[in-house]
Amino acid sequence: MAYQSIRLFGKKIITLIMTLFLVSVAAFLAFQIIPGDVVTAILGTEATPEREEQLREELGLNDPPLVRYTHWIGGVLKGDFGRSYRYSKSMNEMMPVAELIGDKLPVTLWLAVLSVLLIIVVSIPLGVFWVRSKNRILDAVLNVLTQTTMAVPSFFLGILVTYFFGMVLKWFTPGGYVSYRDDFAGFLRYLIFPAISVALPKIAMTARFLRNSMLTEQSQDYVRTARSKGCSSRRIMYGHVLRNALMPVITFLGMIIAEIVAGSIVVEQVFGLPGVGRLLISSISNRDFPVVEILILYITAVVIIVYFWVDMLYRVINPQISKQ
Amino acid sequence: MSDRTTLVQIEDLTVKFPGNPAISHVNLTVERGEILGIVGESGSGKSVTALTLMGLLADDAQICSGQILFDGQVMAQAGRAQDKALYRRYQGARMSMIFQEPMTSLNPTGKVGAQVEEMLLLHTDLPKEERRRKVCERFAAVGLKSPEILYGCYPHQLSGGMRQRVMIAMATILHPDLLVADEPTTALDVTIQNQVIALLKEINEREKNAMIFITHDLNLARRICDRILVMQNGQVVESGRTEAIFEHPQEAYTKRLIAAVPKRKRGEEAVVTQQPPVVEVAHLNVFYPKQKTGFFKKNEKQLVVSDANFVIRQGETLGLVGESGCGKSSLSKAILGMNRDITGEVRHASVRPQMIFQDPYSSLNPAKTVEWLLTEPLRAAAARDDAWKMTADKRRELVCEMLRKIGMDESYLHRKPSQLSGGQRQRISIGQALITRPALVIADEPVSALDVTLQAQVMDLMKKLQREMGVAYLFISHDINVVYRMSDRIMVMKDGRIIEQGETKQIFEAPQEAYTKLLLAES
Repeated sequence: MAYQSIRLFGKKIITLIMTLFLVSVAAFLAFQIIPGDVVTAILGTEATPEREEQLREELGLNDPPLVRYTHWIGGVLKGDFGRSYRYSKSMNEMMPVAELIGDKLPVTLWLAVLSVLLIIVVSIPLGVFWVRSKNRILDAVLNVLTQTTMAVPSFFLGILVTYFFGMVLKWFTPGGYVSYRDDFAGFLRYLIFPAISVALPKIAMTARFLRNSMLTEQSQDYVRTARSKGCSSRRIMYGHVLRNALMPVITFLGMIIAEIVAGSIVVEQVFGLPGVGRLLISSISNRDFPVVEILILYITAVVIIVYFWVDMLYRVINPQISKQ
Repeated sequence: MSDRTTLVQIEDLTVKFPGNPAISHVNLTVERGEILGIVGESGSGKSVTALTLMGLLADDAQICSGQILFDGQVMAQAGRAQDKALYRRYQGARMSMIFQEPMTSLNPTGKVGAQVEEMLLLHTDLPKEERRRKVCERFAAVGLKSPEILYGCYPHQLSGGMRQRVMIAMATILHPDLLVADEPTTALDVTIQNQVIALLKEINEREKNAMIFITHDLNLARRICDRILVMQNGQVVESGRTEAIFEHPQEAYTKRLIAAVPKRKRGEEAVVTQQPPVVEVAHLNVFYPKQKTGFFKKNEKQLVVSDANFVIRQGETLGLVGESGCGKSSLSKAILGMNRDITGEVRHASVRPQMIFQDPYSSLNPAKTVEWLLTEPLRAAAARDDAWKMTADKRRELVCEMLRKIGMDESYLHRKPSQLSGGQRQRISIGQALITRPALVIADEPVSALDVTLQAQVMDLMKKLQREMGVAYLFISHDINVVYRMSDRIMVMKDGRIIEQGETKQIFEAPQEAYTKLLLAES
């Protein structure tokens, strides 16, 4: 069993590396193909041809693509993510991509962690409560409420949250971002509201999903067996139905988590958070390719790694999978 | 009200589901220590009766008249809300139930040991160690080997027979006064079936508990039950001692049920002529890919059918008997050409054979109409072969003709499978298989999912169509009686090998192999 798990783990790691490699090639190639000149983007249209040529040489843009790819990926493997074309560290030095992203990553990651926690802590009890409540009116209310919440785009939710919690209740200052370097607690407090905007639609989806899954499970034969043993409805719910009903929900949560960690771009924009989502958008429009390439690799890695852990968790709680 | 020997007394019980009555005015008693059989086709109300007695009805069901007494205690009564707390004390401890589907009746994410232990957890104050010990003891008592290992297994790791034993262990661990077994062996193979029946009988003799044994299989009821109750359309038709029911059935329905049981007597003699073969199979080995066992090892193959040799001749029925997992389906797939990982030879005389499947509920596309389903093979044939190209009108004509042949008519053209009964669906499956006039049809357990009377009808239909169309059947079943009724010749399969083949009569009267004798003895 242990041997099998290790082998499986090894296989997954190999898959991860291969996928990252392919994505790195694709990301690199994409910027060879799309129109737009980096040099013009940096220098503007007014620069002299000599200056342009000099910069081209400096950035290594005159090398053949294969050389440039090897150079770039070699650097990435050694931990050198290249330098931004756009952001400068000082007058004569361009900002290293690693530093640039390293600065924004904690914001996005903490936003994701808070959102995911919110989703799990709220949606699962809500789903269970929903199934257990036999009240028709409550059922209808929850139905409409979750349906609506699911349908509202997160930027609009962001605006609503800003208005309600920020302007009406004054629980936080809109735009008054506190850096995690200065005041971590204040930073987290500020992040709660963006996290709510990210989490709300997902909470609605997950709760609905769990409810439906539980309703399906409730009509399974093993539930009848449990009743025939004299189990109370409470025991049937928590001892038998919930665990089975959670199986598909976990896969669903995995997808949601990957999506959130990869960047809640719009919400970062609305709340003025300096996260990687914002960085990605500005870098694409600035043709800051070194940054975009690294961000694409990062997002891919996150998605794959989250799926990997979801898969592992799934194997732990679903004995039927772990057999294969 | 109830004397000492009566355990269960159901008086004038009527149960309604929204819209339609499920059972009406049912009376029955169960004495301590006896086995009462409730026999009837599906939909006759036998399961509803049992579920009502067990307090397991769905919330929308309603008791409209009568009452249920268990050991003198009123458990349920018309016009009174169900006393759930009372039932919870009785369920499991004093009355317990074994269900039909061992595959789905256990919680797939729970260890079987813990699931059995839950009974003790619910109804006793035993400490943990003691509970575990009792569970293992019980596993051993129902004939499960190495109970300690089994305790930590999940249901999917066990075979159907083992799961049903686990269910029995669970149902009997508290020595209930009443054990309700609802078709406990229907989903199992013949040999396993017999072991489970023997176990139930043994438990009944040892522990003297009463048992209600629900089945559609009269032969089975005859073997195990002291008394039998025949139900039809939610009503009790007839009841009495088992021998009395079988030897002197009073009601027409009972007589019909008994007559429909496949007996080892053939009405017509087989036409033994040397017709040309429609398929010849020589030295056929069928492989299945096996899971890789090591990271760097090559994919391995598993031999599932080895060295099969036989011919099927025009217009005859070749029966193929064997338990599940013996390679019947692999063999049929190889003949159909669905599994190409074979060595040896399969020579077809004409176009591809067609197939009739076991489950008429899931093998028809629920979104399509009967007309679509029946024209589908024609369209597929037209795509392969220009000879089948035809106008839509011509197609419809063929479909209507086929509908009449299978005992239905044009009025069914626009119905969907959900609007048909199980028997009608299986007729449509047969129509689908025969509409392109294949020389050979492979029927994989075509009647196993049907009631006895329907079984008889479907088999008669298949024979009628064979006479009319001259088609040959490869008729696969685990039920040797069904095969007997259908086949001119029989092949017996075990562990991937054809161990015996010959004329039906010869196989039945003078079986050569020990396994064939076992199969015959057990049915």
